[in-house]
Amino acid sequence: MDNKLRRYEKIEFLGEGQFATVFKARDIETDNIVAVKKIKIGSRQEAQDGINRTALREIKLLQELHHENLIGLLDAFGHMSNVSLVFDFMDTDLEIIIKENTIILTTANIKSYLLQTLQGLEYLHLNWILHRDLKPNNLLVNSDGILKIGDFGLAKLYGSPSRLMTHQVVTRWYRAPELLFGAKQYGTCIDMWAVGCILGELLLRVPLFPGESDLDQLTKIFGVFGNPTEEIWPGLKTLVDYIEFKPFTPIPLKNIFTAAGDDLLDLLEALLVLNPNKRKTCTQCLQMPFFSNKPAPTLGTKLPLPKSIQKTREAERPSLKRKLLDGVDGGSLSKRLFF
Amino acid sequence: MKDVIDVMELQRGKERKAPILDYRQLDFEKGFTPARFIFECGIKLGAQPLTLATASVLMHRFFKEVDHINYDCFLIASSSLYLAGKVKDDPLKIRDIINVAHNTLHRGSSPLEIGEEYWNMRDAIVQAELLIMRVLKFEVSITHPHKFMLHYLKSLEGWIGNDNWNTSPLARTAAAFLQDFHHDASILDYEPQHIAVACISLALQCLGIRLPLMEDNDEIWYSVFCKDLQKDMNWEIMEKIMETYNREPELTV
Repeated sequence: MDNKLRRYEKIEFLGEGQFATVFKARDIETDNIVAVKKIKIGSRQEAQDGINRTALREIKLLQELHHENLIGLLDAFGHMSNVSLVFDFMDTDLEIIIKENTIILTTANIKSYLLQTLQGLEYLHLNWILHRDLKPNNLLVNSDGILKIGDFGLAKLYGSPSRLMTHQVVTRWYRAPELLFGAKQYGTCIDMWAVGCILGELLLRVPLFPGESDLDQLTKIFGVFGNPTEEIWPGLKTLVDYIEFKPFTPIPLKNIFTAAGDDLLDLLEALLVLNPNKRKTCTQCLQMPFFSNKPAPTLGTKLPLPKSIQKTREAERPSLKRKLLDGVDGGSLSKRLFF
Repeated sequence: MKDVIDVMELQRGKERKAPILDYRQLDFEKGFTPARFIFECGIKLGAQPLTLATASVLMHRFFKEVDHINYDCFLIASSSLYLAGKVKDDPLKIRDIINVAHNTLHRGSSPLEIGEEYWNMRDAIVQAELLIMRVLKFEVSITHPHKFMLHYLKSLEGWIGNDNWNTSPLARTAAAFLQDFHHDASILDYEPQHIAVACISLALQCLGIRLPLMEDNDEIWYSVFCKDLQKDMNWEIMEKIMETYNREPELTV
């Protein structure tokens, strides 16, 4: 096991989350740059519950999933009482890209990000797995413009008709209305709603529904789409946390996304449907005209990158080898990953 | 609906109850495995059948890699059960596992007080869990025969017809063979699809069910499900399943 520890040579600290610390490292066997996620053994209480459930979910699911648009788990190893996971190294994520005001997100760029997201998600859903935590922060992008869905700590197999699941999933701003009403049985539609919110955010450059509480979240959603009724959403009133809201007048999406084309608005409307059963699936979305219409999605290498990473991309171009040997000087890289 | 097996069970009454074992007196050298301990504890804990299957496979795989005399088999069994609960999202509380394991080993004793012994056991289970993960190289996903068996049985239901299906406990017998085969480490040696077919074959034979339109000694009924299973391989697995029952120990409390 000690040789595993030596195999990954620490380059720099990347970030810290609730459950783990992430380092950028070099795999000395392949000379690839990787991200090593070391699961924290925190309090005495945690240590005595053994292997972290979140980490175990990631290990279990990612060992069996292989897709260009899903983060790859390259290795897992234990040292002392720690568990470390080795992932593909990703330079940035959609949250950083959205917030970076020097980047212009054209329709072609948005199409490329969304296409990659939906392709990765389609593969997940076809394998009966829900991600349950889609948000810009978990859509990782590398300097080749490849987008990979990351953080499978909440992912779960679905499809068992008798199994109840928790509705306390997905970061609030991206949480579907049925979850906010306390649904315990749900399917791929919860991920589709999140994709809709992400698409909205790519267009607006700010979160589409930044709710401050679960109730405020529903208020913001109904403020755009109007109140749901039993007619448009049969079974709505049987949800355990259902409550009546004061009436809202719906606002056409066209008035919110003034710059978006009709084909894009169609896609948004297919994703952000209050009734979960009416939301389109990944496969259906990928067949919508938006993806076959012009402009074509931007090629990966032509996608914009945050300034800090652009520099390293240019620096690497003349002499990749020199850069790898110097290693440590990439200190201006993004400190955010996975969280 | 009651069928033959139910009536027979009522008639036999108590004698068919599983013997109560004193695990500490058992000899695990002769092929009887601590899987029995996993099943007993797991059933008491209300764990799902697939969690129990996972726990026993994890334990067999662990002991295949290491020299078993170096490890306490009840610790490894308890820890496998705990890990299986996490793998299968079937949450088993460590405290419950400790209490159940302790009471199963020391029958009739009072529950373990929170004290040094309890904390030592807890530490040991947690450490063994990580050890199992490492020995198994973090590969803890298992493809179980269960889902294949369900699929084959569903197809057979249509083949046999509802009337015949309802009068014989084919599904239950096959499921019992599958669960019991988890007591033997040789479950690791075969493809899950093959195990599923063998359990159903054995159940068909035991119940004397002949599939419609099949000739005598014609065992290729499963070729529609599973092309690569040879007749002798099917026989071999069936024999292994039967052997499992011969290994059941006599020693009871």
